[in-house]
Amino acid sequence: MTQTWSEQALLLGPRKSLVGVITKPTAASAEDARPMIVILNSGIVHRVGANRMTVQLARALADAGYTTARFDLSGIGDSEPRTEALPPLDAALADIREALDSLETARKARRFVLVGLCSGANHAAIYAGSDDRVIGSVLLEPAIPPSLLHHVHHYGRKAVRLESWLRALRGENALVERLKKKIAARIQAGAGEAASQLDEPRQPHITDPEVKTFLENAYGRLIARGLPLLVVLTGESWYYRESFLDAFPRLRFGSLLQLEFFENADHVFTSRGASTGVTRLIVGWVERTMRAGSRHAA
Amino acid sequence: MTPFYFGTSSRRLFGLYTPGSARASRAVVLCPPWGQEYLRAHRSIRHLGNLLSRAGIHVLRFDYFGTGDSAGEMADADLKGWQNDIGTAIEELKDTAGVTRVALVGLRLGGTLAARVAAGRKAEVEKLVLWDPVVNGDEYLTEMRKLDAEIAETLAMRTTGPGDDSDRLLGFDLPERMRKEIETVDLVSSLKAASTPTLVMVSHALSSHAGLRAGTKHPVVFEEMASEPAWLEVKGVGVGAIPVKVLQRIVEWIG
Repeated sequence: MTQTWSEQALLLGPRKSLVGVITKPTAASAEDARPMIVILNSGIVHRVGANRMTVQLARALADAGYTTARFDLSGIGDSEPRTEALPPLDAALADIREALDSLETARKARRFVLVGLCSGANHAAIYAGSDDRVIGSVLLEPAIPPSLLHHVHHYGRKAVRLESWLRALRGENALVERLKKKIAARIQAGAGEAASQLDEPRQPHITDPEVKTFLENAYGRLIARGLPLLVVLTGESWYYRESFLDAFPRLRFGSLLQLEFFENADHVFTSRGASTGVTRLIVGWVERTMRAGSRHAA
Repeated sequence: MTPFYFGTSSRRLFGLYTPGSARASRAVVLCPPWGQEYLRAHRSIRHLGNLLSRAGIHVLRFDYFGTGDSAGEMADADLKGWQNDIGTAIEELKDTAGVTRVALVGLRLGGTLAARVAAGRKAEVEKLVLWDPVVNGDEYLTEMRKLDAEIAETLAMRTTGPGDDSDRLLGFDLPERMRKEIETVDLVSSLKAASTPTLVMVSHALSSHAGLRAGTKHPVVFEEMASEPAWLEVKGVGVGAIPVKVLQRIVEWIG
């Protein structure tokens, strides 16, 4: 098959400190109205992505006519750390804005679709509500608060496993063991030390009510903006497709949301079936959604 | 730091050049591992590049054809081609940095390929560092298959979607041709007639090391420095640890 795209390395941001690669369809013109697709890091894996998934997705999107950029957030992969000390989330959001600014200035891209896996999905969801240039987001395995039904599935599945019962009978139940260890540690540490441990700042957790409210507000902003979303969950992280909707019962996504569930996939879509499947899904969603968006705009 | 593409139009390679000091005559090409090990070790390779650059040495990091940000797919890749890619990177660095000789530093499979290239380019390669190189192809594949099986075991489901994943290893395509090539890897034969000063840095013991020590002689030297393997995932993080002492020792030895 003839290659229909070319790739170019670039430095983004005001300090030229963010390393990226742009994949451009050979036939693309400056007047092309199609949005640019920007793929974000997942965790601290560099821009190539788990199993080289990001590269393959960028090339598949370019085959479909979409210019795609992948880049490293500051301090990740090849990008330099930021010069000012910002909390990690603020730094990531500032990096995304600066990268889009560079792509707008240097590449004349005026509209963007953000794509992210895991933390990349969180960044895409949180950022998209604050920048009108973003006209869609693809969120693979975003962090969502577990619903009551998730816990029912979780403990229900454990409860029916013969091994869980056998462990409990042997006194090896994991939950009981964890509790025992915590109590023992607290006793050993002594009252004074235990009190100082309680004073240490705690990292926010997805089950915290304030985290749930924060995410609910972020998704609420996307709904208010009328932003189309493709959300993909996997069977490694979740028990059922509607986990995403159940996590935010007060939000009404309506037709803005396409929700998909890859039951047999792991968190990073490792198998060939999962990897090609999710790539095909994203390309199809971008083509369909952006075509519909263009008609709407016209 | 300059990211760029080099090589030919049919074999474009992603590279990242970090200049050394203005008068530096030393230059290093870093040869990465393959597959999952490449991803996990990326930040250690980057860190090593930065340390070398801070020591005044010109550095070129790059991705082999069909890997990382370079053009191509694994279906079109082979070891001979990757050795040629190292040769292309040497030419590029000589040209960019204005030097006549370079050192090669390779991790895991990258070390093994670097040793083969050095054997054929003795006039240009002044030093060679093999950081936990693959000594024996069978041993390497067995080790990775074992890890692949362990990961599959820890997941709640078998992560095979539709289709057959028997020609993949840890999420990366491993075509039959490449697998057969890797099976024939034998580092001892590549180093048997070595005349380039070579450091074999061992942070992770392998049963093949006894044969490697027995089969090589001066100027090949061994150093052991136990550390976390940079090419294996620190659980739940997605990438490997950065073994700072190993990196510092490599920089010291090169410099």
